[in-house]
Amino acid sequence: MLYIFMAFVAGWLIVLSMVFNSNLAKKIGIFQSTLINYSVGLFVSGLLGIVMNNQIDLSLVKLNTIPWWVYLGGFVGVAIVSASNYIIPKIPVIYTTLLVYVGQLTFGLTLDYWSGLPVSRNRLIGGFLIILGLLYNFRIDQINTGEAEF
Amino acid sequence: MFKFGAVLTGGLTAIMVTLNGILAGNIGDFIALIIIHIVGLITVGAIILFKHKKFNFNKEIPFYYFTGGAFGVFLVLFNNITFNAIGVSLTLALGLLGQSVAAIIIDHFGLIGIKASRFDKRKIVGFGIIFAGIVFMIIGS
Repeated sequence: MLYIFMAFVAGWLIVLSMVFNSNLAKKIGIFQSTLINYSVGLFVSGLLGIVMNNQIDLSLVKLNTIPWWVYLGGFVGVAIVSASNYIIPKIPVIYTTLLVYVGQLTFGLTLDYWSGLPVSRNRLIGGFLIILGLLYNFRIDQINTGEAEF
Repeated sequence: MFKFGAVLTGGLTAIMVTLNGILAGNIGDFIALIIIHIVGLITVGAIILFKHKKFNFNKEIPFYYFTGGAFGVFLVLFNNITFNAIGVSLTLALGLLGQSVAAIIIDHFGLIGIKASRFDKRKIVGFGIIFAGIVFMIIGS
């Protein structure tokens, strides 16, 4: 239950960080604002690390036991920012959530399967319902903005 | 073509959450946060050097515009913890719901400098279906 709540709060954090970062990007540019975003993030991470004081074990042996590509999360993060900056302005705003979520769900289910979580029937039904709900609201947005294309 | 690009962006998000989650599961939540931000910083720093981007701070920028990165840290932390507990697809599905609720409230009341636009009550049906989908996903995992 705690994890469900945390994942829900994460959604709030996405919106807040997106709004602030895009405001900053409009003022100083997308890559500049991303640099500041990661600098502030690194500073806060360092503070958290000190405050939480959880045994930070930086022995090279331990870092070496993990495949190198696991370290690329931060790189992928910047790739997402660059790609969104390029793609999102070129498609109608109301499509964005729908399309991005279709990608998240298909890749997410595949990655879950790959990391040992089976793709059960209920998970597939759930994913399908989420897309259905998004489509429904997408249709309402379309009617409201007077866009005819579906 | 750009629509396919948007789908791929979503796929990249799932990949990122998985990579960061595996890293945190192996070396600990807080050291993972530091490494993730260092790697991101190196990447964007390289782009800025390569593209010769200039910094221009002459415009007046409200202080809170710089706080996005702080929210981002907790976003990554929460994603890493939930990834290791409930997997990536449920983490992202719940994130989507949280995101939608936050967006509705911010839009409806016109918070943090966003122009207010009233919530269309007909959309409750759509969110009901999305919520049912999340319940199915929780049952299924």
